[in-house]
Amino acid sequence: MSAVDGTRIQSLRSTLVDAALVVLTGIVVALVVNFIRADGLPLVAHTPYLTLVPCPEPGGPVEALDAGSPEVASPRSFLVDARSDIQFDQQHLPGAVNVHYDWLDPLPETALAGLARSIAASGSTRVVVYGDGGRPDSGEYLAKEISGRGIKNVHFIRGGAPAALGREER
Amino acid sequence: MRGGQNAAWFAVPVRWYLGALFVGACLHKIAVPASFALDIATYDILPLVAINVVAIGLPWIELIAGVMLIAGWRVRAASLILAGMMLVFLVALCIALARGLDMSCGCFASQGAEDDPISRLTVFRDLVWLGLCLFVSTFDRGLVGFDGWLGRRDS
Repeated sequence: MSAVDGTRIQSLRSTLVDAALVVLTGIVVALVVNFIRADGLPLVAHTPYLTLVPCPEPGGPVEALDAGSPEVASPRSFLVDARSDIQFDQQHLPGAVNVHYDWLDPLPETALAGLARSIAASGSTRVVVYGDGGRPDSGEYLAKEISGRGIKNVHFIRGGAPAALGREER
Repeated sequence: MRGGQNAAWFAVPVRWYLGALFVGACLHKIAVPASFALDIATYDILPLVAINVVAIGLPWIELIAGVMLIAGWRVRAASLILAGMMLVFLVALCIALARGLDMSCGCFASQGAEDDPISRLTVFRDLVWLGLCLFVSTFDRGLVGFDGWLGRRDS
């Protein structure tokens, strides 16, 4: 080992010792001040902190459509029913496919891939989603989710299935 | 070694800037430790038992290291400590961003997420500060400050 290497190692060791002393001093001063001050914190919190961080809103841009608008009935529209499969089996708009919107797992990758394939195969130019029409509306959220995952020109039916299917019955 | 000498002179205002920055950043954390503890808890990374200890100790280390940079005393050690802190802040920030948390970074006076939300810009800013800390630790030669007056050079 050369004299230069020895000096460098010595210098590094000295720097690390200095750094450790600074950290140690900081901790000691902090603990003393915390002990003295009236609003000092307990060293260990006894109850969890109440942090409120809003979850990010999912999705991309979507447009609302009225149930009676021509885009809903257009053959260029790909209809997606966001309700449960039981509700879908009971009644749905002709040509609609069922993609159940689960609030905890909105759109799994497999469902998205299947949906993208179906849309591409259908030759449709727009996607129209309808859900339960509640507040919040599962159809609107599924539409945002689909749009946010890269599928363009996505709409949802305002009022959801009650509006769309009620009109169908009339 | 004119380049090294120029870098050594440039390191002087950089360490003053960094020193002032960290001293400024720690003042609110020292004044209101409960608020800083809440900021740390919001990241949801540390276990509950560690949150208060970090909230109490970290700002004082920031203060001492910041003052050391301004005074030019044991500059390399101080800048390495601050570089280490920046690295830890960066990791925490990236984890929070990856989780999509809509929150303030808590770097300065506690602000709401609406005033100072974390973003890629925050990561970039911290990376610049990390780079400056490493620059100072590499190129400072104690030209202005206690290290120079005491004839101490770490190179």
